[in-house]
Amino acid sequence: MAKKLIELKDITKMYDGTAVVDHINLYINENEFITLLGPSGCGKTTTLRMIGGFEKPDSGEVVMNGAVVNDIPPYERPINTVFQRYALFPHLNVYDNIAFGLRNQKVPKAEIAERVENALKMVSLPNFALRKVANLSGGQMQRVAIARAIVNKPKILLLDEPLAALDLKLRQNMQYELKEMQRKLGITFVYVTHDQEEALTMSDTIVVMKDGVIQQIGTPTGIYNEPKNRFVARFIGESNILDGVYVRQNLVSFMGAEFDCVDTQFADGEPVDVVIRPEDLDIIDAVGAKLIGEVSSSIFRGVHFELCVMVQGKEFVIHTYENRKVGEHVGLRVDSYEIHLMKVEHVEH
Amino acid sequence: MNIKKLGKLALPYLVWMLVLVGIPLLMIFILSFMNTDGVSFAGATWTTAAWEKMFTLADTTNLQILGYTFLTAFVATVICFLIGYPMAYIVARSPFSNKFVILILTIIPMWSNSLLRNVALKNILSESNILDSLLSRIGLSFSIVFANQDQATFISIVIGLVLTFLPFMILPIYTVIEKIDESLLEASMDLGANRVRTFAKVTFPLSMKGVTTGIIMVFLPCFSGFAIQKLLSSGTVYVLGSLIEVNYIHDINFVSMLSIVILVLIFGSMMIVNKVDKEGATLV
Repeated sequence: MAKKLIELKDITKMYDGTAVVDHINLYINENEFITLLGPSGCGKTTTLRMIGGFEKPDSGEVVMNGAVVNDIPPYERPINTVFQRYALFPHLNVYDNIAFGLRNQKVPKAEIAERVENALKMVSLPNFALRKVANLSGGQMQRVAIARAIVNKPKILLLDEPLAALDLKLRQNMQYELKEMQRKLGITFVYVTHDQEEALTMSDTIVVMKDGVIQQIGTPTGIYNEPKNRFVARFIGESNILDGVYVRQNLVSFMGAEFDCVDTQFADGEPVDVVIRPEDLDIIDAVGAKLIGEVSSSIFRGVHFELCVMVQGKEFVIHTYENRKVGEHVGLRVDSYEIHLMKVEHVEH
Repeated sequence: MNIKKLGKLALPYLVWMLVLVGIPLLMIFILSFMNTDGVSFAGATWTTAAWEKMFTLADTTNLQILGYTFLTAFVATVICFLIGYPMAYIVARSPFSNKFVILILTIIPMWSNSLLRNVALKNILSESNILDSLLSRIGLSFSIVFANQDQATFISIVIGLVLTFLPFMILPIYTVIEKIDESLLEASMDLGANRVRTFAKVTFPLSMKGVTTGIIMVFLPCFSGFAIQKLLSSGTVYVLGSLIEVNYIHDINFVSMLSIVILVLIFGSMMIVNKVDKEGATLV
């Protein structure tokens, strides 16, 4: 069992009378790469800022290594942050930016020089020490911001949408590098993003948030394959969500047909939400198929085609390697283990 | 864009500058080395008499005036900075949503008529003043006692200058502090700097531009003006400005020389401040 490094106990944070973070409970293990994922305004950044000490929770406790740290200021926490807009000091050059934290700790000069050099190597920016911050590109600033944080060897590194301002290619490279860095340094990463792909790629654990409430905590595969509710299913990847009824053990009915399924935790006759991922639907001949529809659009996506098929007035999204013509009648098939059932939430529509 | 094209765009401005600034300055410079009858070159001769009048060791009166002017201006600027920086900082970092209004409220009294304000100040600093006459009715007294007249004059002048020019220190400093990105201060604290250290290492260096502007905008009028000094010393003290005021009708050459001296000193102090600023920006 991994050691709990941070614990958030029943944390609430209000802004102007509305709860931005609403009774959150969460623990973060040592050496974990945990991602807070959600749309903007879901409270993920506020949660991060409370861990960093920039905001105080209105109620609840932030526990670090067993001690409550609600009132400990940021400069006394063993935490460093990579800010969204980098927040590099414009009046200092790259070297002085990175050395800032070490100087605050009164580290000897020779050691500072060595550690800054190593940090620059780590983010692949050797020979950048004397550059002015204003003359760096976005990607380079990002790397300096990361170097400035990791050079202090913090126990925990907080990253607030650090890749949001970078272009796609650079972002993908940085995702890989960050993950590598985390593995090598053995630092706990708490990462905030609204990009589900980023979260799936890098995280050990994903925390999906919405309106200040945690929707689901799990591994990337767990969250992708078994979303807990419609929100998570929609937010993590594309999915077809259908109204269905759990007929009896291993049998579910939707779209006027009955299908075998593997989920078992429902009562007979209980209404359920059925989730089918686009890549799990296969196109077969219309004759004899349980789901028959007409192809309404086809878009080439590089690796696959994205087909939309209208079945009884409901649009299905399907990812397939074989293209079909618009207007063609096709049948749809899905394997029993690829039908995922969720409890119906009445607040959701 | 093409640099040649940009250069052409600057041409009207250059002509403007040349006609309205360059040529008049050159005229003043030339006049300071001549002996003329008013602003006229009829019967003019070359001479360094005006410069000798200022920089001679035989009679140091004018040099002393220069020194006194510099000292009052310097002390007033330092005090303006010591009062103005905290004021600008506190307002800029206050949680009010309309900070500028708060700032204006603090400096509006300083925008009342400067002459009236300094007359009032002179009254308050004198032995039998309005406050004293008011307080005497309830058996109290108020008067500021100075060691001697010279000290009284010096302090009065400095107070007058500070009260008049303090807004020019506050405004530019407020503007830069207000613009400093909050996340930079958070980054500093995140990296282990407490509030005092964050101020010293981040806020203050980043506000140096406003400080430079403030210093120039306060020092310049303190150094070249004369009205406040004249009023508060009852005409007993001469500063460079008063030398110009007294002499501009009958000795245009001497006055030209004085304005060149003021210009050089002001440019000199601007350069020093700029240099300090640059070092402050890189050596932290």
